[in-house]
Amino acid sequence: MIRHALAEGWLILRSRGLISPVLALALAIPVSLAGVTFSLRQWLGPVIVLGDRDSVVDVLLHPRLDDAQRVRFISEQARVHRDWKLAAVAPEELAERLASWFPYLEEVLQREGPEMLPHMVEITTRDPQSVLDLKDSAEVLAVGPTSSVNRVVGQVARRFGLVLLLVAGALVAGAVLLAAVWIHLELHRNAEEIAIMRLMGATEATVRGPFLVAVMVPALLAAVISVALTVVAVGWMAQIAVPLGLAAKNASLAVLASQVLGAVGLPMIAAFITLERHASSEEG
Amino acid sequence: MIRIRGVTKEYDRRQILRGIDLSVDPGEMVFLTGPSGAGKTTLLRLLYAAERPTQGEIWVAGSRVDTLARSELPHLRRKIGVIFQDFKLLRRKTVLENVTFVLRVHGIPLREAHRRAYKVLKRLGLHHRQSALPESLSGGEQQRVAIARALVYQPRLILADEPTGNLDADLASELLSLLCDINYQGATVVLATHDHALLESLPARTLVLRRGGIDYDGMWPP
Repeated sequence: MIRHALAEGWLILRSRGLISPVLALALAIPVSLAGVTFSLRQWLGPVIVLGDRDSVVDVLLHPRLDDAQRVRFISEQARVHRDWKLAAVAPEELAERLASWFPYLEEVLQREGPEMLPHMVEITTRDPQSVLDLKDSAEVLAVGPTSSVNRVVGQVARRFGLVLLLVAGALVAGAVLLAAVWIHLELHRNAEEIAIMRLMGATEATVRGPFLVAVMVPALLAAVISVALTVVAVGWMAQIAVPLGLAAKNASLAVLASQVLGAVGLPMIAAFITLERHASSEEG
Repeated sequence: MIRIRGVTKEYDRRQILRGIDLSVDPGEMVFLTGPSGAGKTTLLRLLYAAERPTQGEIWVAGSRVDTLARSELPHLRRKIGVIFQDFKLLRRKTVLENVTFVLRVHGIPLREAHRRAYKVLKRLGLHHRQSALPESLSGGEQQRVAIARALVYQPRLILADEPTGNLDADLASELLSLLCDINYQGATVVLATHDHALLESLPARTLVLRRGGIDYDGMWPP
């Protein structure tokens, strides 16, 4: 049975000539583009999470405050603003941060020592604008940043991710449509032959076997092409995306496995459905 | 072998066959004749379950055909050798492969299938064209391949739809003698034709179809 299906399927493939590789390529393109799009969506994950994170606002305290006054100030703010999380940052720690953010300051900071820097309080809050009121306080030198940039970036990334998912969905839908049209045309081309086989007493397995082989070979080819295209395209895009701060990685195994399943499964499912409908209509 | 009771077939509310009752015993040879459009081909198609009747019961080789499940159709069709009016040859296969294919469907090993196919082709004078594709054959040759394919597995029932339509008188006579041989060996033969010369050449039970009904059922010439 399998030998018959392979031999007859090979005959169908041979009679098609270059049509099979062209079909494979046509199916591989939307499948691989869907894989690339989905990978891009995965990269946005950490950025999207920013939209849900609280903002951190730095509050520089006046140098004239002594330790007791600073503690009192922090306790008072914590009592009034129960949704804030306050953490004191000593000048030594601030000096370290400045040195890492702005390496050209390292020499000055070492020379002058951390004593030149004020004490700082880090306030973690959902509403950074609410910290702005402290600017007028006598104990405070400066407040910032109070914009919700993280949330805005996160929300934009979420919407962009949604668009990418929609694009991936449309590409998969395109692949489904292509597979359905391909199988329909294929069956149309072989309808007479299939009908004759049935009239000769061939079982459904005998009739469908060669046809499924003739569909599976280009489908497997499409799977290989789409995986290769995705790996290359995602790898190349990752090189560009990493410097932009995106968590760019190579295409995940899950994405590649889905592509193989899609490239092989969609035409096979379409073939099963079309053959079944053809058999039913013949019977009718 | 064949039992038909009250069979009606309609296409788009147009009755092609109306209330056909018929019985054909095993080993009988029956001619089916009548003008074009009388329903000869439709009746044969109902017998090999290419179509289902609008009404009525059809029994062929012990199976009730009109209600047969799709999965059972191959078993029925393997008992029947059909010679189609339009040959229905597999275009991508050679003459030998066309004939061998049916034997392969029956599970006969390839070598044995080739041997039997060659034997039948030789009898029909086509062995020298065994490697040719159907499109390179004349109408008469294609007809003979179709006949070889129907006869090669020695079915219990042969349904022939205008099998001599593309054959010259000598080949038509040779075919008829071939079908008679097979009939003598016990196979039931139902042959649809409007070739009067063929009908006159062999006294046999003849059914005359007219306007979808059986107009005459008896020996021909009457």
